[in-house]
Amino acid sequence: MLSILLWLPVIAALLVGFAPFSLKSDPPGMCLAARLRQITSLFTCLIIAVSLILLWQFNYSDSQGQFNEYLPWIETIGLNYSLAVDGISLPLLILNGILTLVAIYSIGDKVERPRLYYSLILLSNGGIAGALMAQNLLLFVIFYEIELIPFYLLISIWGGPNRAYAGIKFLLYTAISGLLVLAAFLGIVWLTGATDFDYQSISTLELSPKTQLILLTILVVGFGIKIPLVPLHTWLPDAYTEASPAVTILLGGILAKLGTYGLIRFGLQLFPETWRLVAPGLAIVGTITVVYGALSAIAQKDIKRMVAYSSIGHMGYILVATAAWTELSLLGAVAQMVSHGLILALLFHLVGIVERKAGTRNLDVLNGLMNPIRGLPLTSALLILGGMASAGIPGLVGFIAEFLIFQGSFTTFPIPTLLCIIASGLTAVYFVILLNRTCFGKLDNRLAYYPRVQWSEKIPALILAGIIFILGIQPNWLVGPTETTTNAIASATQLVQTYAQR
Amino acid sequence: MLNNLYQTIWLVPCYALLGTLLVIPWSPGLNRNLGPRPSGYINILLTTLAFLHSLLALPIALDSNTQYSSFNWLETANLTISLDLEFSAVNIIALILITGLNLLAQIYAVGYMEMDWGWPRFFSLLNLFEAGMCTLVLCNSLFFSYVILEILTLGTYLLIGFWFNQSLVVTGARDAFLTKRVGDLILLMGVVALLPLAGTWNYTELAKWAQTTTISPQTANLLCLALIAGPLGKCAQFPLHLWLDEAMEGPMPATILRNTVVVSTGAWVLIKLQPVLALSGITAEVMLVIGAATAVGASLIAIAQIDIKRSLSYSVSGYMGLVFIAVATGLEEIALKLLLVYAVAMALLVMSIGGIVLNNITQDLRQYGGLWSRRPISGLAYLVGATALVAFPPGGGFWVLSEFIQRLWLEHPMVALVVILVNGLTAFSVMREFGAIFGGQPKPMTVRSPEGLWALVLPMTFLMGIVLHLPLLLGIAGLLPDWGSFNLGLISLLLLSTLLGGGLATYIYLNDRIFKPIILQPKALQDFFAYDFYTAKLYKLTIVGAVNLISQLISWFDRFIIDGVVNLVGLVTVFSGQSLKYNVSGQTQFYALSILIGVAIFCFLILL
Repeated sequence: MLSILLWLPVIAALLVGFAPFSLKSDPPGMCLAARLRQITSLFTCLIIAVSLILLWQFNYSDSQGQFNEYLPWIETIGLNYSLAVDGISLPLLILNGILTLVAIYSIGDKVERPRLYYSLILLSNGGIAGALMAQNLLLFVIFYEIELIPFYLLISIWGGPNRAYAGIKFLLYTAISGLLVLAAFLGIVWLTGATDFDYQSISTLELSPKTQLILLTILVVGFGIKIPLVPLHTWLPDAYTEASPAVTILLGGILAKLGTYGLIRFGLQLFPETWRLVAPGLAIVGTITVVYGALSAIAQKDIKRMVAYSSIGHMGYILVATAAWTELSLLGAVAQMVSHGLILALLFHLVGIVERKAGTRNLDVLNGLMNPIRGLPLTSALLILGGMASAGIPGLVGFIAEFLIFQGSFTTFPIPTLLCIIASGLTAVYFVILLNRTCFGKLDNRLAYYPRVQWSEKIPALILAGIIFILGIQPNWLVGPTETTTNAIASATQLVQTYAQR
Repeated sequence: MLNNLYQTIWLVPCYALLGTLLVIPWSPGLNRNLGPRPSGYINILLTTLAFLHSLLALPIALDSNTQYSSFNWLETANLTISLDLEFSAVNIIALILITGLNLLAQIYAVGYMEMDWGWPRFFSLLNLFEAGMCTLVLCNSLFFSYVILEILTLGTYLLIGFWFNQSLVVTGARDAFLTKRVGDLILLMGVVALLPLAGTWNYTELAKWAQTTTISPQTANLLCLALIAGPLGKCAQFPLHLWLDEAMEGPMPATILRNTVVVSTGAWVLIKLQPVLALSGITAEVMLVIGAATAVGASLIAIAQIDIKRSLSYSVSGYMGLVFIAVATGLEEIALKLLLVYAVAMALLVMSIGGIVLNNITQDLRQYGGLWSRRPISGLAYLVGATALVAFPPGGGFWVLSEFIQRLWLEHPMVALVVILVNGLTAFSVMREFGAIFGGQPKPMTVRSPEGLWALVLPMTFLMGIVLHLPLLLGIAGLLPDWGSFNLGLISLLLLSTLLGGGLATYIYLNDRIFKPIILQPKALQDFFAYDFYTAKLYKLTIVGAVNLISQLISWFDRFIIDGVVNLVGLVTVFSGQSLKYNVSGQTQFYALSILIGVAIFCFLILL
């Protein structure tokens, strides 16, 4: 079952990349790119369907990995093909499918080199799914590193004018992140004397605190680049801004979540004892990230860059929540991963539409897009919805996630939590700036000859908005699958605490 | 049948919410072929339904006890959030007030917004407000009160930003959103901090908890100060009052709702929280000081305004200040009565003014005059509203204010005098507007000014009837104070303040021999009030300026220091690679030399 999620995108990528479609057999008026897009979206829908079947068959009361698949591979180095999903990875897997579908439709139908483009998108989908399901540390690292290739190409081929710089910067940063994670994993396995890299068979309790601290620090820095945490974040604004909206959706929506996912799965769960030691520091770093991201966003003039900085800020909440490690805060962390993925995807999708139609991303030039006749009324309305969801207005999914984080972290770290609440006020500040400048105001009649927004662009945005709204009204569906797993993690870590104290 | 209506009173917010959602097909991005008007009619219909439902449920509510009901909304890792509801006679009366005023405002909007293309947006937002306020009234949980206040903050942003083409509207919407959000977020801190202490957000249980708790005074002070911040923003009290004045850029029918019931949402939450707030003596004093300062300050500012709508809006802040005083001194019942009486009277004033602004184009009081002969109905409605607002028997305001000051006199005589002063100032302010608009000779802007469309006049006259009958209704409900207990000296003082304020204004503004506009000496003092104590400028220089500066600094730091270091590392790598490549010369001697040097260094290190 899980292998389907991993291999289906790869097969689809091969098909899209190499299948001999001839241009002649195309229906009239349809170019190759549009045809390939249809095929890609068909496969993506299949992937989403499979992940929804998983959700349907998922046992909500089991905290362990489910749908296990195990195949010995290269036993001499301890690498096994071992897959499973639990309450943390399942929501992210579904998110992965949905965001891929949105991404396919957020670049317009006339993309250059469509075969390569769509197959790379599919490959990245498969890679992320693999990383989320891998139960073997080495397997995780392989997927985590393999991801970089499609993303590097996607940024540096279909990006903006400064794409080469952004692509290389992204590659260097994330490759270092991968190396650090690999180093930490190797250290864990060698020092504990484990026979293989299987997640279940590793226990770090025997290691000396000092060794644990060193390994955990390497791990945190490695994942911290991916998340990213201030001051390891500078690849992000460039990469997000230069990449095409589709790539940014995947980058920010799901790829960055591998960092926080890894932090919970491998940081918190493998080093519970040491986590306690570094948690206050991490909470401070998280808070700094939140405030820094929000304040930097206020100063931006480019709407895409503004949303990129806002993403940094919102990922900081997840770190604070993970550091606080109560049942509620861990649940909030996972909820925030999903909600941030959805909201960020919606925002970047809409920013992409604005850029394609209005031809600029500059806040000083954009104005009055709410105009019902010549502006982009639906896009503006959804932009308001997305901005407000991001700012944490109740009734939308962003509020639930942030509230769970605030409530969960408050007992452990009161001051950082209060600072995070203040920062969510700053979030409102830059979204109001963004909305006032782009949606409100007077449309310049001399410039406003915008192309129509097509239904293929509207529908993904409407779907995302619908999910954001429904999960905001009915949060049980958001937290349901995750709850048992995060509860188990929180109680297990508490057990370890008492064990360590004894 | 009627009993069922009472049991299903929770449907009232749902009607309104349904109206909000039903306009989605009118979104211009989805469909450009629907005419805007049906969307408005659907909403009016649903509001009527909500109004009738709550009206019919009232008789049952008066006879039955308070009932509670609860839905689980979110149940997860040791956190259960349930939507607790409370049905009682007070709640139903509040529902009737909200739905009734909204119905009148929507009918009024049919006339006021006749030529506007934004009907679907406007009516759906009005109904969103109705739904939010009705839920707020029914809900018995602090968490959901916060949720609704926050949603209404967004609603305010969108409603004020309705005519988003104008720059004043855009800044007004921005300021309203951010000011209210500051209050909301501090409230959120209180909400988050309260749960670990009290273990519940249910108001009833919170009241029980507050009586038995033993938290330290410092915690209690911080908690209670955080909890009053939300209401402070909603009720437009100092120092978060700025938004209400700028909100006047929004459409007038929305102002009817905003100036009456929307600002009261904060006071409602405050009244619900009173048992918790009683934990902290400092908070009560802070509320008292803020309330009194706002009441006096805003009334003074109102007198210095030349814009009719803004002048009224400052009177709103002033009256909300009185409500704050009432809650701070533990007189919640009077606070509720004050809200009721004030809401209908202010709605009538706004309706009267709205019709006048609509066809005279201007909002500047100096350009008005002589409308009494042309707009008698509006003039009459204004006078009725004004007399019901201030203490002028037999209007509703008189009864509530007289009871208020008598209760205050026992423990806080100074505060009672403040209330009397505010009453006098408000009387001056409303009569000043009356004189400036209706008295004197017609001016160029007011020469052509017939009464408006039926949709404007009908709700206004209907409401005028309600306002006139309100004391009677209060009497039937047994809510009027007893004659025998009247402290005649105090009441005379109150009446004197009304007559003095109103009379002075009438004398000045109906008298053609006094040159207008009045210039106060020194001019700086007048400006000080006219520009709202320069609050906007102060904020711009301090908070807004600081956030702006810091964000610019951080952005600079990000670009040139953090990113600069990264790029420097990259540059050094490239540079060293570039320079090292000249070492590869291809000559054997060079390689031999480098091997020799290497071996020498190694030997040296080992020997060392």
